[in-house]
Parts: sequence; structure tokens; C-alpha cells
Amino acid sequence: MSDDDIYIVGAGRTVFGRYDGEDNELAEQAVRSALADCGLSWKDVEFAVGGTNGETKPDNLVARLGLTGLPFVTVKNGCATGGVALMTARNGLLAERTDIACVVGYDNHARGAFNASPARYGIGDWYGATGMMVTTSYFALKIQRYLHEHGLGERTLGYAAEKAFEYAAAHPYAWRRKPVTVDEAMDADMINEPLTRFMFCSPDAGAVSLVLARGARAFDLCERPVRLASVALRGRRPGSFEVFSPWLSPGERTSPSIDAAAAAFASAGVSPSDVQVAQLQDTEAGAEIIHLAETGLVPHGAQEEAYRNGDLKVDGRLPINTDGGLLANGEPVGASGLRQVHEVVRQLQGRADGMQVPGDPRIGFTHVYGAPGISACTVLVSEGA
Amino acid sequence: MVTHVVDETLFASTDPVTLRGSACADCGAHVFPAMASCPVCAGVDVTAVALPTEGTVWSWTTQHFAPKPPFRTDEFQPFSIGYIDLGPVIVEGWLVGRTTWQIGEPVRLVLAKAWTDAGIDVHTFGFESMAGGETP
Repeated sequence: MSDDDIYIVGAGRTVFGRYDGEDNELAEQAVRSALADCGLSWKDVEFAVGGTNGETKPDNLVARLGLTGLPFVTVKNGCATGGVALMTARNGLLAERTDIACVVGYDNHARGAFNASPARYGIGDWYGATGMMVTTSYFALKIQRYLHEHGLGERTLGYAAEKAFEYAAAHPYAWRRKPVTVDEAMDADMINEPLTRFMFCSPDAGAVSLVLARGARAFDLCERPVRLASVALRGRRPGSFEVFSPWLSPGERTSPSIDAAAAAFASAGVSPSDVQVAQLQDTEAGAEIIHLAETGLVPHGAQEEAYRNGDLKVDGRLPINTDGGLLANGEPVGASGLRQVHEVVRQLQGRADGMQVPGDPRIGFTHVYGAPGISACTVLVSEGA
Repeated sequence: MVTHVVDETLFASTDPVTLRGSACADCGAHVFPAMASCPVCAGVDVTAVALPTEGTVWSWTTQHFAPKPPFRTDEFQPFSIGYIDLGPVIVEGWLVGRTTWQIGEPVRLVLAKAWTDAGIDVHTFGFESMAGGETP
């Protein structure tokens, strides 16, 4: 343990799903829950970072939590908001040589698919008017090509959905907790070939907060602090396949997920084969399949067999998305990346809210990915006890 | 006769129909629609070019629900979209004529009616099968 080691000492989240109250209420619930988890109060927090994709101002949460005068940074990086918030908090603690930071991510989205504006992405109005500014078709086009290139069957998508809802059925904070069989997932209403209704997550509401501590202080606050061994953020390079792209480069495919995962593993001195529990961006079932390979956890083309063998279930070789992932939790964009870290932290501390991965896992990994082609990954290592 | 299109800057010509992209003098990358700089190599020496009009289906899907506005249509019917490999660049566009496709099948560029505006047909670009309208 060094003074430069950053630990997660407190974790709190709300139940995800529909929420009628104000966004800030949700965020406050998560912060108070995370602080209670490590026995701290808002007055102890020296640096805060908040993220949301909505209209509220995270830095004004101080109106509810207390006007302590602390620096509070707001981040807004789409689906990668949680990862960026965590990285910003770590960097803040290291740069300022302070001890306690609080991170919060939250959102409360309207029903239905996101409705993005072409102008916000620098694309002409024609793109939206002709029906191409649609996230679901992007995901479908991407996994359709991926399955073809790697010789994977469409049933792989059904396995991914079944696994998600099996985990979620046992998780008290998940939104959709009804089990779905592989056949039910395959036979459900087609949204965009090859993806059916059960293979997409939906925008919803939720909040997650984490408390970070630097150096020895972590061990005063928490019996089993989880070390943030690395966090890496990367953007897209030529050859990546991103949402709202009127054109793609031919030739070799790249991905910000490949780059962020490789950077996170290298910085932590950990190999993908060391990982014992992981969370991957599964905006839809195909994304999990692609990200298993892009992060290095399962080779390209081997995913169907990994699902079929049960490798990714709780008693398998590499349990993935053990809280049901986005498929079962939905996607409150600002909270989603922190939900992943929350779940892995609880797994590494041996106190999972849902199914606990057996065998005292010590090394975890998280991956978020989203528009306009950014990814953030973390490596988490359990210490103590 | 004037052909009305969703955005004139997408086209090098509407008769015969060709798409207007841009090519980078430094790295050769082609993009669509045309841009004033090159996102691949960050170069600024780019010129507008007419893109090839024939290619193959690189990926496809069918839109089974009506997108929210600003999507515009006279009457929603499920429609296919795809990425078409034109050689120097892969372009996203409508796949017209049917709703089931195969990766690798040859297609050619066409004008397709997008909606009617005060009695005038407004067109966008699409790609049709070179083998005919039947599902393979």
C-alpha cells in the first residue's frame, strides 16, 4: 500500500427502474447510502464528482447534501460518464493530496429509445429524417456483421439474454427480475434483425455513488477496501464502428474498448486471464458478445461456446454482469458505469447483493462504452481480510 | 425535370445518381458525406469526389418500429438499412425492394422516395439488389 493507492471504501445504489421523483432525490439517496456504508458524513468529503446525461446540475447537489465549500466537478460523457467520473475523482485525490472523494452518477430518463438530434452529432438533418438516427439499428448492424465475421450463431444472443435475467432474478436492486429462457428471447418481437425485445436494455432511472479514499486512510474506513488498480479512458480511432456513422473506414476494425481495456490491464499489471468477475457494457445482447472479445476476456468466435458451457454464470470460469447488466438494470446513463463498479466491489468484498461469486474472487474488471466512441475500463483488486 | 432530394450536398449528381464524398490527398481516405478535413489522418487537403455506385452489402437490419421525429414518412412501413461496401468507403443507406438481405450480395445505388412534400416527391439515396427483388 502506498500513498498513491486509491481505494473504494463505500458503495451505495438505488433500485433501478421507473422513478416519479426528482433526479436530485435519487442522487442524494445513493450518496447517503455510500457514505453510510463507510461510516462517513458529507462533511468528511474533500472532493466530489457527479455525472448525469439529464438537465439537472450535479454540482448543485450540495444544496441537498451540505454547503461545505468542497470542489465539485461535473462530467457529461454519455454512456462512459461513470468511468470518467471515477477517473476524475482518482486524479483529484492524487493531484490535491486529499484523502476522501465522493462520486455520484444518476439519470431519470423518459420511456422509449433515446431520441438523438443529428445536429448535436454534427450530422445533417437528412440523417434523422430518413430514419437512420436510431440507436437500435446501429446495434443491430454492428452485431449482424460481427456474428457473420466470426461464425457465431444468432442463438448466442439468446444465451446472453437468458444469463442476464437469471442473475437479475436474484438481485434486489435490478429492474427486470423475471427469468427469460433462450427460446423466449429468440422468439420475442423482432426490433431490428437479429435483435428481439428481450435483447435490448431500456433507458430508465437510477443512481449510484462510491466513496474513494487515498492510502492508509482506506483501511481505517473499511474492512475490505477495494483498490482501484487502474482506470483508463480512450476515444475512437479510424476503423471503429460507432453509432450515428454515415460512413465507415474499410479494412481493419479498431475499437475504443480494445484500447481502453488494454491500457487498464497494462497499468494494473494484470492480464485478462487473471480476472475472476467482470462487468461489460451490454446495451444490448450483441454488445456483451463483442465486448467479451474486445476486452480480451474471451477470444473472438469463442463466445457462443462460453455461454453454452455456462462459463459466464455465477459458478462458471468467468462470471459476467452478475447483477443482470444493462439488460436487466436498464440504462440511467450517468449511473450505469458506477453500477458496474458497485457490483464488482461488492463481489470482491464477499457481500454481493445478488448471487455471490464463490471462491473469494480478488480481481475484477469493468468496462463502459458509448457514443460517440469512448470507453472507460477499470481493474479492481480486493485487499485485506 | 428537377429531382427533389432530402439534402443536395449528398449528391454529386442526381441523373445519373452518384453520391458526393471527399478524398484525402495525404492518406487517400474517402468519407461520406463530403467533409472539409480528413478525420482519418487529420489532414486538410481534401477534395470532393463522386463515389462508386455499385458495392456489396456489408451489414443490414430492418427497422420494424417507426423511429421518433425527426424521422419523416408518408406512411410507415418496415424498411431495411445497411452498410454498403463501395470499395474506398463503406456507406450507410437504405436497402430498398425487400426486408431480408444477405451480407456480401451485390447492390447498386438508386434514388428512393422518402416522403411527399406539398404533392412533390422528395428522394433520398438507397441501394437495390442487382439480382432482383426476391429474398435470396
